[in-house]
Amino acid sequence: MISSQKQQLFISIISICLFGILVAGFASFFGSVSERVVSVFFISLIAVVGMGVYSGNSGILTFGHLAFMGIGAYASSLLTLPVRIKSTTLPALPDWLATTELGLLPAVVSAVLLTVIVAAIVGIAVNRLEGSAATIATLGMLIIAHGVTIGWRDVTRGAQSFFGVPRLTDVWVAALGCVLALIVARLYRDSNSGLKLRAGRDNAIAASAIGVKIKRERLISWILSAAIMALSGALLAHFLGAFSPKKFYFTDTFFLLSMLIVGGMTTVTGAVTGAVVITIVSEVLRRHEGGFTFLSIEVPTVFGMTQIGIALIILFAMFKKAEGLAGLKEWEERIFPIKRKITASEASKSATKNTKTASLSATNMTMQFGGLVAVDNVLITIKSGEILGLIGPNGSGKTTMLNMLSGVLSPTKGQILLGDKPIINANSAKFAQLGIARTFQNIRLFGSLTVWQNVNIAALSTNDGKDSDLRTKSAILRLGIADLIEQDAGTLSYGLQRKVEIARALACNPSLLYLDEPAAGMNPEETQALMTILSDIAREDSIGILLVDHDLKLINQLCDRIIVFNEGKLIAQGTPDEIRTNHSVREAYLGRNYKQD
Amino acid sequence: MDLFLQQSANAVALGGIYALLALGLAVVFSIMGLINFAHGELMTISGYVLMYCGIAAVPFPLAVILAIGAAILAAIAMERIAFRPVRGSSGATLLVTSFAIAMILQMLFQNLISARSQPVLLPAILSESVTIFGLIIGVNKIAAIISTIVMLIFLDWFMTKQKTGIAMRAAAEDFSIARLMGIHANTVIAGAFALSGLLAGVAAVLWVSQRASVDPLMGFTPVLKAFIAAILGGLGSLKGAVAGGFLLAFIEVYLSAFLPHGMQEFREPIGLAIVVLVLLFRPNGLLPAKTLAAEKV
Repeated sequence: MISSQKQQLFISIISICLFGILVAGFASFFGSVSERVVSVFFISLIAVVGMGVYSGNSGILTFGHLAFMGIGAYASSLLTLPVRIKSTTLPALPDWLATTELGLLPAVVSAVLLTVIVAAIVGIAVNRLEGSAATIATLGMLIIAHGVTIGWRDVTRGAQSFFGVPRLTDVWVAALGCVLALIVARLYRDSNSGLKLRAGRDNAIAASAIGVKIKRERLISWILSAAIMALSGALLAHFLGAFSPKKFYFTDTFFLLSMLIVGGMTTVTGAVTGAVVITIVSEVLRRHEGGFTFLSIEVPTVFGMTQIGIALIILFAMFKKAEGLAGLKEWEERIFPIKRKITASEASKSATKNTKTASLSATNMTMQFGGLVAVDNVLITIKSGEILGLIGPNGSGKTTMLNMLSGVLSPTKGQILLGDKPIINANSAKFAQLGIARTFQNIRLFGSLTVWQNVNIAALSTNDGKDSDLRTKSAILRLGIADLIEQDAGTLSYGLQRKVEIARALACNPSLLYLDEPAAGMNPEETQALMTILSDIAREDSIGILLVDHDLKLINQLCDRIIVFNEGKLIAQGTPDEIRTNHSVREAYLGRNYKQD
Repeated sequence: MDLFLQQSANAVALGGIYALLALGLAVVFSIMGLINFAHGELMTISGYVLMYCGIAAVPFPLAVILAIGAAILAAIAMERIAFRPVRGSSGATLLVTSFAIAMILQMLFQNLISARSQPVLLPAILSESVTIFGLIIGVNKIAAIISTIVMLIFLDWFMTKQKTGIAMRAAAEDFSIARLMGIHANTVIAGAFALSGLLAGVAAVLWVSQRASVDPLMGFTPVLKAFIAAILGGLGSLKGAVAGGFLLAFIEVYLSAFLPHGMQEFREPIGLAIVVLVLLFRPNGLLPAKTLAAEKV
């Protein structure tokens, strides 16, 4: 029924608009109390979805986004505050600001732009940290912003209340802002940047190895989320009319984070669910905070019952459903799944041949881990169109070599030449963009994304994303996994996951392909089929393949040339026949005392 | 010069407390990837035990032992009740869980004890001061410095000489391999929490002995600082936690002593900005944990 992403997004956008109109309509029908509750709900939801754009897609929890909300609130209020109020409450403002009085829209837009600039600067610093360290850095950012707001009295009135802001946010304005924020967040999630970022969240090493610049995508989502936070803050300021720095500190961070987490931070559906649940629960609890009678039992006044209630809901959610009530998929992805079809006719059309063929030579390759020399002064060349086997006992340095040749590890010593150009100071994303793709010994797929998305992200991240859909289709057809494309990669069987990984690497349109134990876990038929596919790839597309495996039958039948590692050193190389009879290879595998009979 | 030395002594005393707290966070983080927001509430529990002991006229040395013991027990209970169900989850899940625990405990303190700050009776000697090499140093500060040194020596001995400590270090490097070597997950994790409780308890006694009061949010601020210290030193690295704690304290104390009066309001933002600056050059912290480099591909 749904055959493309666009249709799915269309359904989503229509329903977001309907949601906004209906909820705002109901609220204004029931009068001013409900209008207030619903306005706060909308404004909170903007903030929640703003945090979700960053945290959900990048997987890094944020405690600091209320700083952006605060900047948005103060900046927009300074612009809309009537000049006569400014002259009495903020006498020390610079002239240009003291005499400015804008309407809501220009004020909000200016505040958002200012926040974007601040976020870009802060983002460069936060972006250098990973995972939990980044989370704590955002916490530090919140404390810094709070400290600056309190200290900068001339502009913010310090810890005192900032009042006199015209109350221009009614329920319809809030609804409009909310619909806008939800649509932006939803579109970002399935944009190229959003997809790449989610890939990085699921598996950072694999994402980098197919050319995703994770830090760049992270910065984009950081800035976008800051802009949404600023919108929320600006609308909040013009809803409340008066606020102080405390409004953008820990208490409200906890409140908004709880919405994000209970609903599920990876989806817009989750943000809405969480905001609805927490708003309802906290409204109910707040009304009973002063004590109530339950089944004729007197419950005394409990201070902070709302917080305790919310904390218990969070604990319950974490114990039972850590990814949130809405799970990892949008509602429309569940109800209207995409039914893409890849036909064979597209295959012929899409068989874009690899144009850039190049051979690789690496000299003096050495890798030291502390005192252990894992790879010792190795020279290796891979020509285009050949299949080179790399074998050796466990721990002989095969995977380390592969990691160095793909930029996952930077060698202690050694130089890599692609064609005649040296590759210097490149990370694995750069290697992928130069046309070197790889798979991993322990499968690294983007488990929560579909097979199509897994392969598509690789195509989008290489060759500047040119012909990405064609390359995706061609890689999927090559590996014969066309009927799996809408399944989540994490749910597939082992052998199929290996195929998806190879398809993903092929979608990078590589000139060289490294496969780390591609046949591990496959049965003999599957291995046989894989061998046919691999030799086709090498012959037809003139891709050079470096194949690491323990299956010597596979290596012997498939490889043009074999090199053998032992204890980090290259001990032999030659044709399969030569290797079979090589003395030192036998020694490495069978021991020194092995006697030929 | 005198002022400088005087402030340096203060910085060492404060840095010791930050270091102990950051160590407590690091011990747990290195093993299960949890940044424990509720670490501060362990401190607060110790503080309240000291307060009640003071009211009940329990001798101070005994009160200290009870306070530290309470923090250890609370840490073990916390692990058993709240963190075991989410063990092995993502860092974000663990962090959020601990955040919720912290929130519940704070609210419980407010409802069951008091929302206001409560005085703690301390022996008079703690508020006296002595003159050493021309410097006037409070007995409580000297106690803090000595206790920190003793704790660091103890911890070093525990981690390098004791079976449980060695098991913890093994688990921190690679938990699944450590389990295959016959190390019990429950023992190691409970041990890590007990150790973090011990460190939080000692830090709490030192903290309270310099302030003589306790309130429901007592642990929140110092533990925020300890988070920052842990990041500054390198998350999950024990040596880094100590280094980060001391560096942060020196930054704070010197700023408050030497920043011009007009800038004092911005002391905290400036201090954190310096930390950020350090992190820009050393994103993995001063002394990064080994495990960061050892990820298998």
